[in-house]
Amino acid sequence: MLLPLLLQGCCSKHGLRVATSVLSCIRTHSWKALHSFPNPCEVGGQARGPLRSSAEAFLCRRMPCRLHVQTRGAKSRKNQRQTQEEEWKQRNRTVLTYIAAAGVGMIGMSYAAVPLYRLYCQATGLGGTAVAGHDTEQVATMTPIKDRVIKVTFNADVHASMQWNFRPQQTEIYVVPGETALAFYRAYNPTDKPVIGISTYNVVPYEAGQYFNKIQCFCFEEQRLNPREEVDMPVFFYIDPEFDEDPRMARVDTITLSYTFFEAKEGQKLPLPGYS
Amino acid sequence: MSTAMNFGTKSFRPRPPDKGAFPLDHFGECKTFKEKFMRCLRDNSFDNSKCRLQSKDYLECRMDKQLMAKEPLEKLGFKDLMDQPGSEKTESKP
Repeated sequence: MLLPLLLQGCCSKHGLRVATSVLSCIRTHSWKALHSFPNPCEVGGQARGPLRSSAEAFLCRRMPCRLHVQTRGAKSRKNQRQTQEEEWKQRNRTVLTYIAAAGVGMIGMSYAAVPLYRLYCQATGLGGTAVAGHDTEQVATMTPIKDRVIKVTFNADVHASMQWNFRPQQTEIYVVPGETALAFYRAYNPTDKPVIGISTYNVVPYEAGQYFNKIQCFCFEEQRLNPREEVDMPVFFYIDPEFDEDPRMARVDTITLSYTFFEAKEGQKLPLPGYS
Repeated sequence: MSTAMNFGTKSFRPRPPDKGAFPLDHFGECKTFKEKFMRCLRDNSFDNSKCRLQSKDYLECRMDKQLMAKEPLEKLGFKDLMDQPGSEKTESKP
């Protein structure tokens, strides 16, 4: 930006011819600088020889100009340029190859990720996918592990708009892994209208939830209570024997089973997670 | 809690029960068995191992009254109780 001004300032001392020749030098130089560094004043043709003005020297200091490069000859200069161009071409080709390989690698990894992620989920149990410890046939063959006593506490909740009285009939029960256990909840409908409820459950701590298997319960299905009716709701469950072998469960002594009842209105489909 | 959509948190996924849901006992047909079971639990400081016979009796009552699908008792984990006849007096575990 300042360069033209400077030029004009310098050239005013030395005459117009210098200015025009140097300006043309700069113009051609700036245009060709994108591609290579040719000798711009060779192209310009005029700004050589006696034009070693202060403006020119200033310009040549500021810009990578090859005004004074005196190599052995035009041919060797051309050869140099060619080899350099070839070198750049070669380098570009290798870079392009690396980038293309990285792109193909990424696409391949995205395809491979599907089975790999599934394996990972099965190994670590993240995302709630099926993990070891859930085989329905093992109920008949499992043996209780007598020395590991676990306290199962019960919790009952209702949704705010649900008017049932819902509570567990025992606050806790001591079970061992591999042994089936029975527990009861009680629900009472104090209203004058039949109410349909549907429930879901939660197990705390999270990692123990995969070992908590319910054989039969009252959850995920609509349960209808007539007005002023009270029912007992059983839960038949067991804790998987592999619970004892899991190192993450070594310090878990209490499991809390929490049920929550929601009201199911006619024609309303509740989005219950995990239940198809 | 389980519907918190936080990236990276493991959320609890409830599983449906293996054998489905118990039909509700509207008429209290098995209430006596339930009361026996609860009394046993209270007497034994809520130790489930000591009250397995009563729980087996309750489930048998349910099966008899069509409140539960009939299953062989081994499938319900009562294999060790099959040897003794169903009697409330005897000790449940050998």
